[in-house]
Amino acid sequence: MYEIRFHGRGGQGAVMAAQTLADAAVRIGFQAQAFPYFGAERRGAPVEAYARIDTAKIRTKSQVYRPHLVVIMDASLLELEGPASGLRPDGKVVMNVAQRPEELDLGAGVDAECGTVDASSIALETLKMPVVNTAMLGAVAKVWNVVPLDAILEAIEDRFGGKLGRRAGMLNAEAARRAYEATVVGRTQGKREYVQPKRWLPVWDEIPIGVSLRKTAHVEEEVGPATTYQHHTGRWKWSTPLYKKDKCIRCLRCWWSCPDAAIVRQDDDYMRWDLEYCKGCGICADICPVEAIDMLQGARGTWQ
Amino acid sequence: MAVKTITGDQAVAYGAMLARAEVVPGFPITPQTVIIEQISEFINDGLMDADFIPAESEHSVMSVAVGASAGGVRTFTATSSQGLALMYEMLFAAAPTRLPVVMAVANRSLGAASGIWTEHNDSVPVRESGWLQVYVEDNQEALDMIIQAFRIAEDRRVMLPIMVCLDGFILSHVVEGVDIPEQAVVDRFLPRFAPVNVLDPRDPIMMNPVTPPEFATELRYQQDRAVEAARTVIGEADEEFAALTGRRYGGLFEAYRLEDAEFALIGLGTWAGIAREVVDQLRAEGKKAGLIKLRYMRPFPGQELRQATLNLKALGTFDRSAAFNGYGPVFTEVRNALYGSGITVTDHLAGIGGRDITAEMVRDMYGLVERSARGEKVRDCTWHALRGEME
Repeated sequence: MYEIRFHGRGGQGAVMAAQTLADAAVRIGFQAQAFPYFGAERRGAPVEAYARIDTAKIRTKSQVYRPHLVVIMDASLLELEGPASGLRPDGKVVMNVAQRPEELDLGAGVDAECGTVDASSIALETLKMPVVNTAMLGAVAKVWNVVPLDAILEAIEDRFGGKLGRRAGMLNAEAARRAYEATVVGRTQGKREYVQPKRWLPVWDEIPIGVSLRKTAHVEEEVGPATTYQHHTGRWKWSTPLYKKDKCIRCLRCWWSCPDAAIVRQDDDYMRWDLEYCKGCGICADICPVEAIDMLQGARGTWQ
Repeated sequence: MAVKTITGDQAVAYGAMLARAEVVPGFPITPQTVIIEQISEFINDGLMDADFIPAESEHSVMSVAVGASAGGVRTFTATSSQGLALMYEMLFAAAPTRLPVVMAVANRSLGAASGIWTEHNDSVPVRESGWLQVYVEDNQEALDMIIQAFRIAEDRRVMLPIMVCLDGFILSHVVEGVDIPEQAVVDRFLPRFAPVNVLDPRDPIMMNPVTPPEFATELRYQQDRAVEAARTVIGEADEEFAALTGRRYGGLFEAYRLEDAEFALIGLGTWAGIAREVVDQLRAEGKKAGLIKLRYMRPFPGQELRQATLNLKALGTFDRSAAFNGYGPVFTEVRNALYGSGITVTDHLAGIGGRDITAEMVRDMYGLVERSARGEKVRDCTWHALRGEME
């Protein structure tokens, strides 16, 4: 049995990628499954998706901890817990990045055959949007010879075509074909130690009754389930707001609209941005009636 | 102390008043209606200092109750049957949030074939909602248990909501002489509500956020332990209540003439009263019959029942609700608790949809249990007073 783990961000299509790979495998006579794991659905949040491919019926429904193949759809995921963790000794990696495999560091102990491709550019050129899932499947076909490109293209055309229209199916297949051609195959050897972030995993009688959590109880990493406190959403961003205070009329619309409560209202009703949590979505800049907020390319700073 | 001749519904309302409930959301449904009407009158007459909140449905009632209790005030409500069913979703919000709401349930048959008469198929199915459940036998117990329920629910070791279940019509609409405790006595028994968590804008907290898999098992186990802790707290509350009022209910269950009994029946609600009569008759005839009045479905007194039934040869369970293609819920719980004890357990369904339960019916039940105590094979599950032969 082959086990595949996809790492992506909400909106990049990791779930569809896993499903399409399973679909392609089924088309050529394998048995296959695919399923996602994520919390609250939102753009930019790290998500995982899994696929299994076998000649016999697949009975397990557990998540994938020892993958034969890891697909990393966003280079910024390397900042988080090592996405290649648990990779089998003969396992392979496919990653969306402009660098060559030998320039990557996927973490100490990772010594694997690796394919890299600038799937973001291919997706932008082909699909006019940064949804890299189909391009990544093309790269998978190049690095990993279990499911050939033809089957993947067929699955893409059917699944994406069926859902988004025939033209979208063809464009996505084109993205996969181009990525297949562009993928550079080499070897990656990791050195850096991933520091596992401390997580609050209390034993049963340490959980406050009713899971009631005070803000004042956020002592360092001791924060409860599903709080954004734990999720440094600021690390998701690829654009950063620039606040021009002199233009601000203190209408509070940005403060009210921020989906991550990353805009902090000051006593004088001017704003500050907590960039540790601002994910760069740009809603504030859109809603500002006096253009007091610009979105700059790239991630920078912790506060402004 | 004053004895008043009042209905079970009114007794419940007196209990809520004496317990100083501060918020009462309500929606009327027969046979519970009188409870919230009486509470409204108490408030209107200045006898009770509480906010009565008429809601647009029972789902809203329980939502209001959750909100009020989370706000740190003592919260009471009452419902029945379809109303309880409509609350279903919010029942499962109140318990894990550990909000000690007290709710009277005037037991009434749920669903089609529609009826307004008593059956336990409204409250018994929600025994896995995380609420505690006590069933009462008479109006005095109805009043007393509302007061005790707050004490048990609000105990720091428990902090869980509780249903006080009384048979619709058979209690809700029957008048009996009820001893109304002095307010001072109740105040001594029931301290002010001291919530663990309070929603307060000056000190914001998050209650029961989305709980991902890595926390959920621990949360559920914590709930499980709280239900378990209620066993002890129920016994303590019963003793202290007895010391103040002279009325003792036995805690999780009451054993009646059980010491030297060879066979007995166990069941919930008003049925226990008529069963006492039948046990006395049988005893007069020289038969060693006994009775267990099961009071709590949650926590379920499994270990205690095992201990109490050691000398029995056979035990029958009385179920006032059916389980299909199988046995009633009381039977399921009891036989599970007694698994491996060697006692023959049989199930006896009666009183469905409010069908009157007579002494003759209960005598029939005892007759079957006595036969199985003698080693005769009787049906595992008998539908009593059924027209037509059982298959």
